[in-house]
Amino acid sequence: MSSTLELKKSKIQNMTRLKKFKFSSIIVGLILISYSVFSVVPMIWLIIAPSKNAEQLVNFAPMAFGSWDGYINAWNNLMTFEEGVLVTWIGNSLWYNALIVLISSLTALLGGYALASTDVPFKRSLLITTLIAMIIPSVALVLPLFIEVGAAGMFDTPWAVILPSSFYPFGVFLAYIHFSTSIPKDVYEAAKIDGAGEFTTFTKIAFPLSKGLLGMLAFFAFSAAWTNYFLPYVLLSSSSNYTLPVGLGLLFSSTPSLNPLNGAQSSVIGRPEIALAGLMVAIPILIVFLASSRLLVRGILAGAVKS
Amino acid sequence: MSKRMRINRSAIAGSVMVLPYLVLLLLFGIAPIVIAFVTSLQPSMVTPNGGFENYIYSVTEFRFWPAVINVLTFLGIYLPAMMIVVVGISLLLDNIKPKLNLPLRLSYIVPAALTGSLSVLIWYIMLEPSLSPYRDLLHGLGLTESGQIWRTGNLAFIFVMMAFFTGAGNWIVVQYGSLQSIPDDILEAAKIDGASQTQIAFRIKLPLISKYLVYMAVLVFAAGLQIFVEPQLISGSVFPGLAADWSLNQLSYTFAFASNNLSSAAALSILLLVFCAIAAVFVVFKTDFFEKPKKRLK
Amino acid sequence: MKKKIVAAITMAAMALTIAGASAPALAAKPSLTLWVDTPRIYAAELYKKAVASKIDVKIVTIAQSDIQTKIQLANTTKKGWPDVTFGDPQDTAQFAAPTNGFAANLTKVLPKSIVDGYAKYGNGNSDCIFQGQVFCLKNDLAATVLWYNVPVFKKLGLTVPKTMDEFAATAMKLKGTGYTAGGYGDHNYYASFLQSSECPLIATPNNNTVRTVVTAPACTRVAKLLQPLMDAGVIDKRSAFDPGFMKEYPNKGMVAMTLGPAWYGKFVIQPKDVWNMPAGTMTAAPMPKWAGAKTNTSGAWGGGVFIVSSHSKNPKLALEAATYLATNKTVQSQATGYPAFGPVRELWHKALKSDDYFAADPYPAMDDAAKKLSQLNRPVRFPFVAQVGTSLTSKITEGKPLAEALDSLAKGIQSIAPASGYKVVTK
Repeated sequence: MSSTLELKKSKIQNMTRLKKFKFSSIIVGLILISYSVFSVVPMIWLIIAPSKNAEQLVNFAPMAFGSWDGYINAWNNLMTFEEGVLVTWIGNSLWYNALIVLISSLTALLGGYALASTDVPFKRSLLITTLIAMIIPSVALVLPLFIEVGAAGMFDTPWAVILPSSFYPFGVFLAYIHFSTSIPKDVYEAAKIDGAGEFTTFTKIAFPLSKGLLGMLAFFAFSAAWTNYFLPYVLLSSSSNYTLPVGLGLLFSSTPSLNPLNGAQSSVIGRPEIALAGLMVAIPILIVFLASSRLLVRGILAGAVKS
Repeated sequence: MSKRMRINRSAIAGSVMVLPYLVLLLLFGIAPIVIAFVTSLQPSMVTPNGGFENYIYSVTEFRFWPAVINVLTFLGIYLPAMMIVVVGISLLLDNIKPKLNLPLRLSYIVPAALTGSLSVLIWYIMLEPSLSPYRDLLHGLGLTESGQIWRTGNLAFIFVMMAFFTGAGNWIVVQYGSLQSIPDDILEAAKIDGASQTQIAFRIKLPLISKYLVYMAVLVFAAGLQIFVEPQLISGSVFPGLAADWSLNQLSYTFAFASNNLSSAAALSILLLVFCAIAAVFVVFKTDFFEKPKKRLK
Repeated sequence: MKKKIVAAITMAAMALTIAGASAPALAAKPSLTLWVDTPRIYAAELYKKAVASKIDVKIVTIAQSDIQTKIQLANTTKKGWPDVTFGDPQDTAQFAAPTNGFAANLTKVLPKSIVDGYAKYGNGNSDCIFQGQVFCLKNDLAATVLWYNVPVFKKLGLTVPKTMDEFAATAMKLKGTGYTAGGYGDHNYYASFLQSSECPLIATPNNNTVRTVVTAPACTRVAKLLQPLMDAGVIDKRSAFDPGFMKEYPNKGMVAMTLGPAWYGKFVIQPKDVWNMPAGTMTAAPMPKWAGAKTNTSGAWGGGVFIVSSHSKNPKLALEAATYLATNKTVQSQATGYPAFGPVRELWHKALKSDDYFAADPYPAMDDAAKKLSQLNRPVRFPFVAQVGTSLTSKITEGKPLAEALDSLAKGIQSIAPASGYKVVTK
């Protein structure tokens, strides 16, 4: 924040336009708040939806609450789908993601450190490759990965999703930026003059100073992997290997929930059930998002923004 | 201890540290591209000679150009909409004290939790006049049945809404952050010079964050080019066939898994990849976004 | 953060243990994987129960629209095939082609009783036969009939139409009454009108030729007959499953009649979550006859099949499973569709009548239609059903002229067929 003197100056200048300013700030507020409403309405709908049954979803006001039993009902109905395979999907999503976050954060941390403060050969080419890989959307590599994974005999195994998802150039870039800007160079230099090797410097000095970075790496790795649909959709074929998002896709394309042509009377999976399954996907990521919203700001802009 | 010795030790330690990432990079970043390229040259049922015939087949296939037009239409709406709204909202947010607008920013990233298959589900609901929370609004617009909404001419708009809805929040938070990084003395100086809020926004703030805007534009473009999940899922069994082979990635998927033609699928993937790579190279070398880290290398 | 990571790892470890524990401990039992769509899950469950002591049956739910790509995926990776899958008759054409090779040739292994059970009651299995070879077992015959509302017909003084012209005239009389003559913004338009009119769209004079002649009178007359009805609003451009359509007509009991497959009865008209038409109102009459046709031909929407994998490790068991699903009395008597396998029809008929839902027995009309299924358009190796969805259906629901919708379908066929090795003839 700037000095109070300067603030006062500008305040005096603004005084004359005070009335106009107030009017425009009401409009600004309105715009911002309506966009905010627009942003949260679907999520609120999704949270409320399973409390109602299929009929109530159509007949009640959209945001009206049904009953708590609705959730239990919807859950029990979901459990009839392939003998409760939903639980397997939740489990899969959890452990695939735990491994992805672990592997990708660790490799990124080490890689970023090495690029920032050691004399690793081919540093520049590595860095440029990483930057390019970071901008190319991961979706672009799905079909090529399918060909590779198929040839390697890894198709339809958890590793077909875990390993490719752990390739995390953005994380490496983040770590690289962190180690080359946030930690003063002389700290390393001092350690090195004292005769500490790169590993000692890393474990004793760099790592303890990287808690925030680690959180950021984990956050971005998790939010990308948790919702990923295309990669597991193509690389997994047995429903017992599916992740939640892919399972959700299977649920609403194979059951009558969104299209009664799939057999309305042959399945209890309807809209409340689908909404509940959707909620399972949304809630963890939402919690993580809200809990680490500040990291988000710093993350992508870590390169140059000092906020 | 001589300096050279230390450099060598540092190089070895660095190599060991970078190795796990390097393995992943080679296996899942570079190898797939090489393998896809090799596959794209192999003969298939419709291209018995293989080679670049697969590329020619892909781009002359009757669904290729419609898909190109679809994706370009999508990008033509998506990219400007994203830029304008994100920049607009971020600028407005920047006028409010950070503490006051924190709840707003938090609400903006809520939709980012609704991506992939979930976004298809959500938008099916939002656009179904009998279920939607915007029921009254839709009815007010004369939209009383989903058939009026889910039609081929509207698909590009619908997919823009889906992609925009899930993507905009994060970018608002990011661009707001970049606005916050503008040193206060610059803004104060402008205010003292008598510049209005609008003038400050357009003459000072935007030019100062332009490189982040370019970076965002490229990322949004590259991601939009690859659109797949939304059209694929919606035309699975929700509205059978509605957006089948609508996007280029879907077409590539169809080549591979409906037409038994992995070679042409790989060729199409490589083509798409090349476009993204060009965009990436552009950002890396032609903008100064990554200048700082590069300088630090020396 | 640390806590979170530790928690995540613990969760992962737990998930691993659970996954490990649930794996079958004894490998002695042979196992079979069945892919079925939601309406066929009950059948698979019945089979699973019946063989529980001998075979480990794994039931996988699939979306019908995914079957072709999922099989192709398995073909590419050379693993992950099911032993038996449910599918659309159109799927078999692709799976039977040597380039795909998923469907096992059943010609020599099929028991005579099964072959006869299909053959002696009309050509129940004809969709599964390619060049004289059997590649699947037909589950049900989805032949179209005329569903109509008895009390409404009485109230409005209508007679049951016997020809398509009468159908149009009767439908026209509904104008202003609030009743509808059906929603056709789905595959039903193809099945009930184009196919029954014998419009050559995917006629296959030989294995590598597709005949698509939209200029044929059998094609043009369809739009000519129906466009005025569409314009008058007595037939609907929306799908019979469209939530808006269902709310406006069937859920209020406002369907006077509709053409539609045999499975409409138990699958669409009756169920509470779909049309929920009042009991004692609907029944089926034979398909109306097109002018100049020898007989009242019907089309088919769906009419699933069971396909045995050529990659099955237990081909004999797989065939038994498919046979059970397609021909077992318990399974078929509970089915929503008219069974393709003749010997079970009597039981199915009994079940159909048991709850006295229909105003009159719809069985005779279904029986008539099943015998007169058009054999002109045949299953083809390219995704025809998806093509109908992309071009024909989407144009109809958008309210485009019906003739334009048909042209769009024809264009789609002409573009897509060559990639599957077909020559397209347009004369």
